[in-house]
Formats: sequence, structure tokens, C-alpha cells
Amino acid sequence: MSDQTKSWLDSRLPLAACFRAQVCDKPLPANRPYLSALGTLITGTLIFLMLSGAVLSAYYVASDHGAYNSIQFIMRNVNDGWLIRSFHATGTTMLFAAVYLAIFHALITGAYRLPGELVWGLKLAFLLLMMLVGYLGYAMQDGAVSHWSLHDVTLAGAGLSSFPGNISNWVLGGPAGHGTLGHVAMMHGLLTFIALGVLVLHYYAKQAVAPVAKKTVPLHPYYTSHHFVAVSVYVLLFAVLVFFAPHLGENPLNAAPANPLLVPAVMTPPWYLLPAAAVTHALPGTEGGIVAFFAAFAVLFAMPWLDRSDPRSEPGFLYKLLVVILGLDVIALGMTAAAGPSTINAILMIIFIGWYFLHFLVLTPLVTARESK
Amino acid sequence: MKLGISAAALLAAFLAFGSAAYAEDTLSPLHWQSQGTFGSYDQAALQRGFLVYQTACASCHSANALHYRDLTALGLTTEQVADITASIKLDNRPATLDDRLISALPKSQAAAAFGGAVPPDLSNIVAARPKGTEYIYNLLTGYQAPPADVTLMAKHYYNAAYPGNQIAMPAPLTDNAVTYADGTKATTAQEASDVAAFLTWASDPNLDARKQIGLRAVIFLIFLTLLAIATKRKIWRDVA
Ligand code: HEC
Repeated sequence: MSDQTKSWLDSRLPLAACFRAQVCDKPLPANRPYLSALGTLITGTLIFLMLSGAVLSAYYVASDHGAYNSIQFIMRNVNDGWLIRSFHATGTTMLFAAVYLAIFHALITGAYRLPGELVWGLKLAFLLLMMLVGYLGYAMQDGAVSHWSLHDVTLAGAGLSSFPGNISNWVLGGPAGHGTLGHVAMMHGLLTFIALGVLVLHYYAKQAVAPVAKKTVPLHPYYTSHHFVAVSVYVLLFAVLVFFAPHLGENPLNAAPANPLLVPAVMTPPWYLLPAAAVTHALPGTEGGIVAFFAAFAVLFAMPWLDRSDPRSEPGFLYKLLVVILGLDVIALGMTAAAGPSTINAILMIIFIGWYFLHFLVLTPLVTARESK
Repeated sequence: MKLGISAAALLAAFLAFGSAAYAEDTLSPLHWQSQGTFGSYDQAALQRGFLVYQTACASCHSANALHYRDLTALGLTTEQVADITASIKLDNRPATLDDRLISALPKSQAAAAFGGAVPPDLSNIVAARPKGTEYIYNLLTGYQAPPADVTLMAKHYYNAAYPGNQIAMPAPLTDNAVTYADGTKATTAQEASDVAAFLTWASDPNLDARKQIGLRAVIFLIFLTLLAIATKRKIWRDVA
């Protein structure tokens, strides 16, 4: 760009100056842990998933007979199609790992407490959206397992058809019919854009309540170099999974095409949906499952008010210990869902879900009230 | 200096982990070369496996996602594959390179022949079963006389590896069901092992490329990470 054009552009649209002030020279706290890069990693991964998803959508066929075969075509006949799909699948695993870690981190550090309640709520909204998007992506494969899972979900949706405007038909195209996969694919993409919007809101909400740092450094080169480390480690991990464990956490049975005559005995979803799947089986019936799922999220949303401690205090030792136990409880819950139905499993599942609600509704208020005295 | 040492250590750890997984694998009675972290396909086994597939499975099963031209990945030349296809009859013409590996048995007849059980397409079967390669081997070598307390359903056979133990597929392999061009002795176990290798390739034809690119990517990223750490330290030196 010649100097003349540059000064003309600067006088009409001061992008460079704005970028310098808002990004490069932005003052940030001088002391931040590596986990503070999680936001960058999550946003980056989401955009990466949108791009790889856009490429896949050029070949994906959203129909009963087309879906499975089009994915096989991507894996076998499209140049580097296997790599793009592996990026997309493993990217999902990385994204969920980062989001679960961020939620855990916010819980154990007490970041959800006032005035961080909206930031916390937006985090949870993002997780909820990602679970929906993840589920829809899983259903889009139309494998031997996900086909039947989608069948159940659309039936459940039809059961809710008393909702105004018949949401289920609008969203899912009604009980597994020809249009269903088309609707599923459409929602899979659409909700991703909404999730990106939630991330932007989260970013600004977090800025608004961030404590004033005593000592600051400019974003560039300090935070760029700091995040460069986090991103490299993350991408290294990502690469190990993409190239050496591309199907990590998937149910192999779902790699077979759907069989309209054979309902699988165990409908194990991908790893990141396991705890949620367990919760939806906790109460009998479709409505029970939906109620349990939203109740599990409701107690998370209520955390800022369930915590009785002074928002400025450090979370106590007992509280932190309980959060670690909660993390293990959720993992154990996911494992019961993966193991499939049996009496002992059903009992364990009830215990783990019981502990989950006990943690939020009883232990958290009690312990935080006592520890802040 | 310190960084150089940690780079070497990290790389050594990665390679050691990979070869350890590989070494452990060679010790097990069932061993396929492709299974180690850095293991690639054994093309001789794949070619033998295709022969077994064509002789003993293709009469009932299809592998629809594959075309005959894909067989050049087994180390065969296009001419060799053309020779193979010339000897395979589809309805009323010889197969060509661009034909899919269909089954000789139409689906409707198959279901009738096996009491309603349709032979599944085998293109992706190894990916679609837990520990797929071992499973295929165990399934094909798992036919046994049923225990005294088991009554078999009509047109079913007892198989130790199949979930529920009663399968509608008659034992497809016998000793010397094929004659291997490379002189390998065609025991049932050898045939099962080779066809398991072939079906593993059919499910995951990009395994070799994936691991090759992966190794290079990981080595590059280890160095990139170390570079990032060094850069960050230098920039933040006077802050902390
Ligand atoms: C005579 C016909 C026939 C031949 C030959 C045959 N199969 Fe099958 N196969 C079947 C049928 C029928 C089924 C379905 C079994 C059932 O559902 O009980 C089946 C099922 C299978 C399955 C699926 C098992 C599962 O876990 O669901 C595999 C794998 C398989 N065959 C592999 C092979 C291989 C490898 C060969 C060649 C070595 C072969 N078959 C030869 C008829 C055949």
C-alpha cells in the first residue's frame, strides 16, 4: 500500500489505529495462569470446526440413504477427505475437553460468584449449545446406533408437540422421516453460529467484571507469546489424536450403516455426551429424561446463589475437595452410561446422579456458609 | 541447552511409547503389523487376504465401498488387478477396474438362504466392531461344537466369538481353502489372519498415510512448542 492510500484509508477508516489500541496495546494483568488461554483455544477450535464442517458439507448428503454413503465417500474418495473428517471429529473432542475443563475451573475457583454470574451463565449456555450441536453431528452420521438414537429423540419430540408452534416438527422434521436428517444438518450448522455469538457475549461480559489489575502488560507481545505456548501444546495434543487415535471416544458399532430392522442393545453416544445420556435415563419416560436433563443444568445455573460465601473470599479447602469429587462423580456417571443397562449399573447411576444433586442443593450451601465464617 | 535436552527427551519419549506399544503387540499370539503406533500394512498379507476374501467370502458378502482399482494399494500393478477382474464374473460380463466389490448373492436370496439373516457389507466391518481385527480372526476361528446345554436355532452354528454364540453364517474357512502364490501354508488360522488384515485395510485404507504424516507433524509440533516456550520466557523475563 502506498503512503498516500494508507493515509487516505486511515482518515476514513482508522482500522490500523483501532487494532493497535484495542488489540496490540490492550492492557492485561501481568500475572495470568496458562488456563487463561482456554477462551482463546475454545474460540479457535470452534472456528476451526466451522471451517472443516463447511468443507465436509460440500460432500455430505442429508438423506436416509445418502448420509452414511456420503461419509464413506469423503473417507475414501475425496482427496484428503479422511483428514478433514478426522480434524472435525477430533476437533470436537478437543473442544469438549476444553469446555469441560473451563467449567470445572470456574467451579473450583469460585469464578461463578457475583459479579461473575452472567459470565458463568453464558459459559453454561455455550456448553448446552455445544451438547446439542455435538448430538446433532453424531446423529448426522446415521450409523447403526445414532440412527436409532435419533429415532427415539424425534419420537420424544413428537410427544412434546403440545408446545406452541410444534417446535419438534419445525426443528427435527417430525418422527424420523425423509426430511429429518436435512433438519438435523441445518440445526447443526445454525446452532454453531449462535454458539459463536454466545462466545462473543461471554468475552464482553467477562471484560465488564474483570477485577482491575495492579500491574498490567500490553497484549502484544506478552499475551501473544503466552498464548502461543498454550496453542502449540494444544495443537500438539490435537495432532497426536488426529493421526494416532482418530476414533477416540466413539462407539465403534456406529461405524456400521443403520439397520432399520435392528435396534442396538446399548446406544452409547460419543464420550462427551455420556454423562448427559446417563442423566436422561435417570427418570422414567421421555418427559422424565427431559426434566432430569434440564434440572441438572438448572442447578449449575443456580450456583451463584447456592454458594453462601462472601464472593470476595477464597473458596475453602473442603469446598474445593467437593468440586474434585463432583468431577469424578460426573466421569463415573458417564462410565455407567457407556457400560450399558444392568441392575448394578442402574443402581450406580442413581447413586451418582443423587450425589450430583446433593452436591449442588445441600453440600454447596452448607459448606460454603460454614467455610466463610 | 536445557531446551535442547528437553526436546530430545520429549521426542525420545514419543518414539519409545510408540515402539513399546508395537513391541508388546508382536508378543501376543495374534499380531498384525498395522496395529503398532507406527506400524504399517504388510502388503503380502493384504494380497493373501484378498485372495481369501475373493474365494471364501465374496459369494455371500459385498464390500461395496471398494472398487477393484483400489486393490493397487495392496502392492499389485494395474495389470495384475486387471487380470484378477477378468476372471471375476458379474451377471453376464467380466468385472472391470471400476466395478465395486459386490456380492455374488442378491440380497433377497441371501436373506431367504440364511433364515432372515442378511450377510452384512464388509467394507467397514473392522471399524464397526470393538477390536475389529481381532474380532474377525476370532469369529472365523471360533466355530465349535455347541456345549451340551445349548440348543441351536434352525440354520445357526455355534461360534465362541459371536455375541450370543449363535450365528447364521456357516464356517467359511477350512485348511487349504486357497492356494497362496507365495507358498505360505494355508491353515484356517493363516487364512483368518490374512482376511482380517485385508478387511482392516478395507476399513482404514489411509492408515499408512495417516501415520506417516502424523509422525512428521508431531515432531514438528514438539519443536514448535519448545520454540514457543523459549520465546515466551525471553519476552516475559523482566515482568515476573
Ligand atoms: C455362505 C454365505 C457366507 C459366506 C461364504 C461368508 N459369510 Fe459371513 N455372514 C453370512 C451371514 C448369513 C451372516 C449374518 C450372520 C447373522 O446375522 O447371524 C454373516 C456375517 C458375517 C460377519 C458379521 C458378524 C457380526 O459381528 O455381526 C462377518 C464379520 C462375516 N460374516 C465375515 C465373513 C468373512 C470374513 C467371510 C470369508 C472368510 C465370510 N463372512 C463368508 C454368510 C456368509
